Amino acid sequence: MSVQLSDELVSLLHDRETIKLLATTDESGTPHVVAKDSIHIAEDGTIHYLEHLESSRTNHNLVRAIWFDRRVSIVIIGTHQSFQIKGRPLEVHITGPLFQKHYAEVRHRLGDVDLSGVWVIEPLEVINENPEIRRQEEEKRRPFFRHLDRLAKPLKGI
Amino acid sequence: MSLALAGTLHAALSLNEIVAKYPDIPRLIIIKTDVQRRGIHYTERALSIVDPAIHQIRSPYLFGSRDGAIKPLPESLLLRDGTTIFVDPTPLEQNPYQVDLVEGRLALVDNGEVVEFVRLWEKPLYYDQKTSSGIPMSHIASARPQRLNIFQSSYCHFWAEQKGCRFCDIVNHNKQQKHELGVPVRLKPEDVSETIREALKEPGRFTNICLTAGSVLKGKDLFDHEVDYYIETLLAIGENFATKKFPSELISSAFNEKQLIRLYEQTGIMSYTSDLEVLNEEKFNWICPGKADTLGYNEWKKRLIRAVDIFGKGNVGTGLVGGVELAKPYGFGSEDEALEATFEEAESLAVNGVTTFFIVWVPRPGSDFRGQQNPSLEYFVRLASGLHQIRAKYRLSIDFNDYRRCGNHPDTDLSRLL
Repeated sequence: MSVQLSDELVSLLHDRETIKLLATTDESGTPHVVAKDSIHIAEDGTIHYLEHLESSRTNHNLVRAIWFDRRVSIVIIGTHQSFQIKGRPLEVHITGPLFQKHYAEVRHRLGDVDLSGVWVIEPLEVINENPEIRRQEEEKRRPFFRHLDRLAKPLKGI
Repeated sequence: MSLALAGTLHAALSLNEIVAKYPDIPRLIIIKTDVQRRGIHYTERALSIVDPAIHQIRSPYLFGSRDGAIKPLPESLLLRDGTTIFVDPTPLEQNPYQVDLVEGRLALVDNGEVVEFVRLWEKPLYYDQKTSSGIPMSHIASARPQRLNIFQSSYCHFWAEQKGCRFCDIVNHNKQQKHELGVPVRLKPEDVSETIREALKEPGRFTNICLTAGSVLKGKDLFDHEVDYYIETLLAIGENFATKKFPSELISSAFNEKQLIRLYEQTGIMSYTSDLEVLNEEKFNWICPGKADTLGYNEWKKRLIRAVDIFGKGNVGTGLVGGVELAKPYGFGSEDEALEATFEEAESLAVNGVTTFFIVWVPRPGSDFRGQQNPSLEYFVRLASGLHQIRAKYRLSIDFNDYRRCGNHPDTDLSRLL
């Protein structure tokens, strides 16, 4: 089921300094992770990714994902925050107004480049990857997962 | 009960059963194939949201539709993976899929259940323009989601000798098209050039140009006039490009080496297709009497193979009308037999660099085979899978005729990942 992205995450997605990684898997399940500036959030809350190359590994893996109901992962890294979004490709626009709008925009911005498709990804789960938040969550939910020395009384005289 | 309905009701496996049986074949491609096999019917609710200012309404085409009528209905559909469904309106008594409005979106519906949501094709801007000679540009170039079709001549000389291919309705349909819409039977190069120029003004709209027409037998050598006409049209198209070559496909008669060299060297054409239609000499002789009498099956094959030396491996193909090999009364007796024969021949072509693809056979009312039933969904799924596997085995590219640059072949949809 689709989840709504928090305002914090939305503003991070809008920030041009944010690092955005897209992870997909190939036929054998091998991950393929690449940095993708063109990931952005659409008005309806879905994530759009502009794929420039028809024959790229990412594009092929996204086709596999939409064909065989596989998931993808998007990692968003800001200066002080980091999130992971698990999602599934819902649709790819290879023609039509949305495609042509982005086609014109990327060519205006980047020069003589092409556009293969505009992938629409539905966010299914968001994980806050901030290490301190993740540590606190684990210690609360899984209290056994700690080394004992971390809980030991400090030794006197040492 | 019509033949078509009887065939559907007695089909061995349903769509869902086929999807479950073939987990390596994408459900969306199986749906596309079945929709092409059975056709569609637009409900009034669906038609209520069609806007001719935005959506592409059926434009001139080389072949007629399954209902034998020319009506202002939507051109066709797109699936959410970008796959094109090139499909005809079909009479309700033939049990087509319904295109209905569900929760404000268009959906393919079967037996009351939503199978998949779909989109309509958007109309290109040039469709609203006319050439300097006053012809609607939509009559000069027909658009697909990413391709321009130029049907430069809609007469096939095989028909003059009563030897047209038995599945084909080209001449009957084009008489109807000329009478009802005023579509020119033969295009003038200057009209084609002007239309292409207008189409290219829309950024991101097209990736390929396809030229095709009926066979022209006249000339010093067989087909010389057909070649001359293609060269004239291609040169007119080429006026609009800064590069000599542009992504394009020619679907024509089987030309000799001299003719192919002229085409390749003088024009911007990048790929060559000549349709054998059915991969078996005996069935070819029955189904394609004109082609059989003028060149014959083996010479047609040889010319395809020779074309690879000129156009390059992966740039030469042959099209099949998939399923016609099972037509009554002289087709194969079983689907297994038909597939075995087809794959054997497709492999013999692939070894030599020629790739094979198919369209789903639709028994059209204007053809000799009207009233017949096309094969089961499972047959088409196995045919698509087999031809794709042969292409993969011999590392044959299908970039000139894939899901985007054509969209009418379930097997080349599968080859999207090659």
